[in-house]
Amino acid sequence: MSNDTKATRYKLNRRGFVKGAAAGSAVAVAGIAGFPHIARAQAAVKLGVLHPVTGFLQFSGGQCRYGALMAIEEINASGGIKALGGAKLEPVLGDAQSKAEIGAAEVEKLNEAGVAAIVGAFSSGISLATTQAAAKYGIPHAVDVGVNDKIVGRGLENTFRFGPGFGVITKRGVEGLIEINKAAGNPAKRIVIVHENTTPFGSYMAGLMKKGLEPAGFEVVETLPHPTPNKDFRNIALKIKEIKPDVIIPSHYYNEGVLFLRTLQRQRVSAKGIYSVLGGASSQYRFVNEFPDAARNVMDCNHWFDPGKPAALGQRKKVEAAGKSYSYEVFLAYTAVKWIADSMERAGSADRARIIEAMASSTWSGHFMPYGATRIVKGQNTGAQPLVMQVQGSEIEVIAPSGYATRKAVFPS
Amino acid sequence: MNGFAKSHLGWLLLAAALLAVPVFVKSGRWIEFIELTLFVAVLGQGWNILGGYGGQYSFGHALFFGTGAYIQALLQFKYGVSPWIAMWFAVSGGVLVGLFVGYLSFRYGLRGSYFALITLAFAEAFHVVARSFISITEGGRGVQLALNRDPDQAIALFQFTFADPFLKSYGYYYVILALLMIAYGATWWMERSRFGAQLVALRENEDAAEALGINTFRTKMAAICMSAAITSSSGIYYVQKFLFVDPAIAYGPTKSVEALFAPIIGGLGTVLGPLVGSVFIHGLSEVTREAIDAVWGARPGVDLILFGIILVLVLGFAPKGLVGLAEAAWRRVARGGKAQR
Repeated sequence: MSNDTKATRYKLNRRGFVKGAAAGSAVAVAGIAGFPHIARAQAAVKLGVLHPVTGFLQFSGGQCRYGALMAIEEINASGGIKALGGAKLEPVLGDAQSKAEIGAAEVEKLNEAGVAAIVGAFSSGISLATTQAAAKYGIPHAVDVGVNDKIVGRGLENTFRFGPGFGVITKRGVEGLIEINKAAGNPAKRIVIVHENTTPFGSYMAGLMKKGLEPAGFEVVETLPHPTPNKDFRNIALKIKEIKPDVIIPSHYYNEGVLFLRTLQRQRVSAKGIYSVLGGASSQYRFVNEFPDAARNVMDCNHWFDPGKPAALGQRKKVEAAGKSYSYEVFLAYTAVKWIADSMERAGSADRARIIEAMASSTWSGHFMPYGATRIVKGQNTGAQPLVMQVQGSEIEVIAPSGYATRKAVFPS
Repeated sequence: MNGFAKSHLGWLLLAAALLAVPVFVKSGRWIEFIELTLFVAVLGQGWNILGGYGGQYSFGHALFFGTGAYIQALLQFKYGVSPWIAMWFAVSGGVLVGLFVGYLSFRYGLRGSYFALITLAFAEAFHVVARSFISITEGGRGVQLALNRDPDQAIALFQFTFADPFLKSYGYYYVILALLMIAYGATWWMERSRFGAQLVALRENEDAAEALGINTFRTKMAAICMSAAITSSSGIYYVQKFLFVDPAIAYGPTKSVEALFAPIIGGLGTVLGPLVGSVFIHGLSEVTREAIDAVWGARPGVDLILFGIILVLVLGFAPKGLVGLAEAAWRRVARGGKAQR
């Protein structure tokens, strides 16, 4: 057979093309109708992961991103979103560069990328901007860490927070201190609060703690604010040394937390206890490992996992095996992603409005946080609460509330 | 075409192109990108009037941005003043701060690095004031404005997040564009005025300018007031868009650096310099980020290294900024054309 004949034989004419296309389409339609999940499984569901991974918040933002990606990897490895035919979650990353306006601009980018939901954005200031920008497009936004109660208090239907806010954290912080002090025979009365006052985080915390402590019989003898970033705590340490308080309550970001506690150690400032509220460094394994002497017996009311849940301990091993520090940013972002995935399962859809409905009515209990099943009121998970931890040896132990405690508090220390 | 239109064709085309952006750009992402670029261009023009034309380099222009932003936010938050009224107080407040800082600095002959340091010190002092006077400024908690959800109130409350579709998409774009046009129009006028000539003269040689009869103190005071008015107007835009301001946003070093970077890169003492610089900085930042992401995946911060290297190269090889570079290139082309004829 000549080459010409071969060419004629396989030449595609119009009628042949139409016949073939029709047959092919019929097979495809039949296949899709018979096995819908196979066809749908092709389409991944995009999830926006938005954090400040550069700028002054980069450590915490990076930890959040790591936790969120870890959750996505696990969900995909276990078969994706089953209600969507095993659709995989595809992370779309955003960097807020530690600036609110860049965070809002990144939301626009995520919206155009077609994300079904957003998890982020670590700090309160950035989260206020990103939730507002996401509300424009009705994108469900799970706030992972931002604790400002105004984030969920503005009536934005798209905005949810799985973890606790300022109000609950300070309330539990005061209750925890009362409980620990009472168990030790009430040795502490005079208190000094040291807080950052550049962002809403530390300022709110200090005000609320003062309001809560004074009616409980404590005397707040001094409130010492400092800016963020702050490179020198010697003056504050010397002032505390002069005041000789029973308890020091610090509240700041990680870098300032490390520097403050190290300065107290170097200046030999002694108190019956250091009891931080969202202390930044106080409940960070990284800090405990790097500066064990400065971290010794420091107590902290902060976000923490339920120490009785093996899943949390397993995740900690996994994170540490990867050379990372198992910090609250990691597990809060991780659970926020898992919560969104659960909501997608219940919504049976990647439609933004349906995910919002599912998140608002969520009763998810498949997590390892000490929150119980989720119950959302105006975007806030009302069961969310912090725990009180203490650095004992090279470990961070839970000391209050008693239902979650793994050790008794060392107080006075 | 009349004489004015002919001689200002470039400006008219640029204004028309910016006004028509929403016709061509439907993407929220790119509108936001252009908005942020124009925002920095306004901040930069504020700095350029004092630093670029007047030679008085300020390291603390956040002082004016922050004052405008705080007044705009506090008047609404504490006293329920309409944002449209608050904005006049915000600009006036910025000008008053300019008068205060200018009087203290220029009256005592502070120049060059001394002036740069005193503006930096004032910005830091205002940062401390914003953090410390909690009863007035709300301290580190910042000022959070109530979010308007009623589309009918969008214009009255100067908030477009939940406005009708057009305002929601382009409302803030036209706000910053209006500020840009006012700022650039004023600078364009200044460049051609006696005041502008006096300002440039004192930049080149203050003693010689004085010897020629120029009241350098008054000229510098006028320049700092104009600079403060423009810079504080950008604070109004920021507050109305993000509905939040705290001491770090208002008086932190970020805005001061953004304000001086754009004109230095674009071209000091030129009307277009801050806009060109802002477009270059934002465009370059976006391109380097996308390029790094495409080649190596997400590598936070690596794009900033590349961005920094390119900026250093631009500063090294184009000391007169990009506008200066373009002018030099244009002159070369023009000379080449004449030589051929």
